[in-house]
Amino acid sequence: MAASHTAPVTAADMAAALADAARASRRVVPVGAATKLAWHDDPFETADTLSTRGLLDGFAHYAGDLVATIPAGMTLAEANARLAAAGQWLPVDPLFADRATIGGIVATNDSGPRRYRHGAPRDLIVGIEVALADGRVVHAGGRVVKNVAGYDLSRLFCGSHGSLGVVTSATFKLVPLAADSCTLVARLPTLAAALACAQALAHSPLTPSAIELQAPDPVLLIRFETTATARTQMLAATNALLQPSGAETQVVHGDAEHAVWTDHDRRISASTHTLLKVSVLPSAAVRVFTAWTPGVQWAANGRAALGVFVVRLQGTADHVATEISRLRRAAELAHGHLTMLDAPPDVKRLAGPSPEAPAAALMQAVKARFDPHAVLRRVCDGR
Amino acid sequence: MSALDSAFLSRLHAAAPGGVIDDPAERLTYESDALVHLRATPGAVVLPASAAEVQAVVRLCHERGVPFIARGHGTGLSGGALPHPDGVLIGLARLNRILDVDVPNLRVTVEPGVTNLDITRRVAPFGCYYAPDPSSQSVCSIGGNIAENSGGAHCLKYGFTVHHVLSVEAVLPDGTLTTIGSSALDAPGLDLLGVLVGSEGTLAVVTKAALRILRRPEAVLTLLAGFPSIDAAGDAVSAIIGHGIIPAAVEMMDRLTIDAAEASVQPNFPKTSAVLIVELDGPQSEVDDLFVTVERVCRQAGAETVEIARDQGQRERIWKGRKAAFAAMGRVSPNYYVQDGVVPRTRLSEVLRRIRDLEARSGLRIGNVFHAGDGNLHPLICYDEAIPGQAQHAEAVASEILQYCIDAGGAITGEHGVGADKKSYMSKMFADADLDTMQLVRCAFDPANLCNPGKVFPTPRLCGEVPGPYRQHPVERAGLGERF
Ligand SMILES: Cc1cc2nc3c(=O)[nH]c(=O)nc-3n(C[C@H](O)[C@H](O)[C@H](O)COP(=O)(O)OP(=O)(O)OC[C@H]3O[C@@H](n4cnc5c(N)ncnc54)[C@H](O)[C@@H]3O)c2cc1C
Repeated sequence: MAASHTAPVTAADMAAALADAARASRRVVPVGAATKLAWHDDPFETADTLSTRGLLDGFAHYAGDLVATIPAGMTLAEANARLAAAGQWLPVDPLFADRATIGGIVATNDSGPRRYRHGAPRDLIVGIEVALADGRVVHAGGRVVKNVAGYDLSRLFCGSHGSLGVVTSATFKLVPLAADSCTLVARLPTLAAALACAQALAHSPLTPSAIELQAPDPVLLIRFETTATARTQMLAATNALLQPSGAETQVVHGDAEHAVWTDHDRRISASTHTLLKVSVLPSAAVRVFTAWTPGVQWAANGRAALGVFVVRLQGTADHVATEISRLRRAAELAHGHLTMLDAPPDVKRLAGPSPEAPAAALMQAVKARFDPHAVLRRVCDGR
Repeated sequence: MSALDSAFLSRLHAAAPGGVIDDPAERLTYESDALVHLRATPGAVVLPASAAEVQAVVRLCHERGVPFIARGHGTGLSGGALPHPDGVLIGLARLNRILDVDVPNLRVTVEPGVTNLDITRRVAPFGCYYAPDPSSQSVCSIGGNIAENSGGAHCLKYGFTVHHVLSVEAVLPDGTLTTIGSSALDAPGLDLLGVLVGSEGTLAVVTKAALRILRRPEAVLTLLAGFPSIDAAGDAVSAIIGHGIIPAAVEMMDRLTIDAAEASVQPNFPKTSAVLIVELDGPQSEVDDLFVTVERVCRQAGAETVEIARDQGQRERIWKGRKAAFAAMGRVSPNYYVQDGVVPRTRLSEVLRRIRDLEARSGLRIGNVFHAGDGNLHPLICYDEAIPGQAQHAEAVASEILQYCIDAGGAITGEHGVGADKKSYMSKMFADADLDTMQLVRCAFDPANLCNPGKVFPTPRLCGEVPGPYRQHPVERAGLGERF
């Protein structure tokens, strides 16, 4: 049977479609804008797909409460365009932010540079609606920011990659749009110096919204979103902090700032090569960025002060797989881990599976309760 | 005694040598948490000295089908640590070491019996602090904070416990010791930590936790403003946020709680109908800038007095007044009942009006002190237990207030948890299918329903076996709706 594609327009229809798939013993993959479908070690090309793009109803902005409920099929860009009317936004800036849907962002828990200040989707979500494999539509959380009634299933669904059910809408806390924004672009002589500066900034009284590393040519992008006076003083303090490391700095605003950040994203997302996420303790990050495998070209963007880096690798499958093994070991030595995002099939095969997550058995137990017939995707737990 | 026969008790002694409390008088301490009207005598009380001992105790309970309940420092306000008469109460107070302080990575690793404020005390010399600050922070444990996802006045800007826990080591209900989450961000697989935090001790016993600490902000500025009405103070809060400012804290007190605080700790609050405490923190330049707006907004909203605390002493006095509010009610009423509910911030005035009507109708005085920034109400219902029926009347009043919160689209608890106290309200906030789905998680962690049973959910779910991942028979598959 050829793979089918369904795009329900209500949560109830989505749940019914899931139940149908379960009954027919067919496996389904929920799909939003398909920007991060490959961020999972399960093949998806031949599975039936359930698109969330039809789920567009139910947008509600509670501006006075700094909260919004956003349907899963809506893109982040559209949601933020609407929220901007009241001077607010959902402060996530994941890869492919122009196309990515809310459902997909929740399912991947993806975030970007401004995670440094605002956290990841799991830190912002306050409520969720999901369609389950048994045909039910259920809710958790609510529409208030503070709420400890019952288990927090909203967070459980963040980063679940469509393994437990289909997110049909989510409610988030929002933040006001900043009155003023600028970015200090600092070129540093070495990666070690750049990482050390990022650490120093994180330990200073300054409050940038992003401290972002670019590598291999070491650049830090330091963003300030505050009042105009505070921005001026913080820029001066940042310059003073960076100077002893031999930094060359430049400050960008407005369109130029926008261009800097767009280019930053493109360094990683523009071409389809192997894409990895490396998470380590920030102070040990320098270990990851040494001794690259010869023959591999690489580039990295990262939340330097959080120890989270997205790495792009390019080269022959053999070389790339060797480099993945090296990075995996380096990440482990730095008390962290490597997550494979996207990679060509031969690279995935050569690199082998990720090591098993410590609580993998428990994750499987949760998965089995939510999706007893394995209609949905596997849990990415390294098993 | 049913399950806890002498054979069991001797194995319990072996599992945690020297940790079993045999003295019945000493066991009385453990009959309730801070919600004292719910009490039970625990079948046994054990205070393990290590994670390995916790594990041995849980293994024994699992093997014998005996319920067990974790307890931190017993300051919970929802009966979460209420013992089970046929069960084992596991007190974590002896697991109270700070195991590691990693300043470069802004992390600490602690045992669950460490008191919240002790972390801040320990890291203060490095210019750091642990952000979640429940009013009970000098007495409550981190294990309890994790179980309740505790919050405090500064959670408006800095988030709740869940935003500050990176990983835990925990004993699962079958006795397995595991790690959930990781010290580096984005642990692979499902975010089980996100659901464990706030699960009120019903999923596992936490034996260790890695937490984030923060750098102390450069500047802190606290403002105390007196308003002619609660509505005016509420307007000021909306206007502050409307100006794009998220203060570190925004707290409100009404006249009854102001008077009580005054009688108790003399914070010298203005004698107005309401006071607002607004705290800004961050870089000095930013705080100075934003402060101008906050002050102007308060005056525009009708503030009759504005006092600015510029030093630590003044700030401490203001916070002392706020933090003493609960206990101070004892000065104006023989007994009081603390309710905890949440409403969307924009519905505050409306809900407070309903509470005032209820006050008039019920004849019981109701004080209001709350986290105004996030709509978390703490009505204090005054009563006199010496007057027959008044305690029950107060409870009914407290319960009606929760209904107002639900009507306004809020929640039945913002920080004190559901525990044993509010489980019957869960069905007012959630549909049966929602509760059933939460219990799928429960069944995955604790299929035998031994870990703090009878809490959170109005009715326990029978877990049953999980069908194999790929069932062979199509007829069976068609019937999965019933089996789920
Ligand atoms: C005066 C006063 C003021 C308060 N103010 C606030 C406030 O501002 N904000 C707020 O959020 N709360 C507040 N509380 C409530 C209470 O302090 C918190 O809920 C606190 O987190 C409870 O900690 P504890 O150690 O006392 O836990 P306990 O009361 O002992 O237990 C609470 C729950 O946690 C579970 N538990 C404890 N330890 C573990 C563990 N190691 N593993 C698994 N489960 C465990 C128990 O089973 C129980 O369900 C206040 C309480 C009082 C008395």
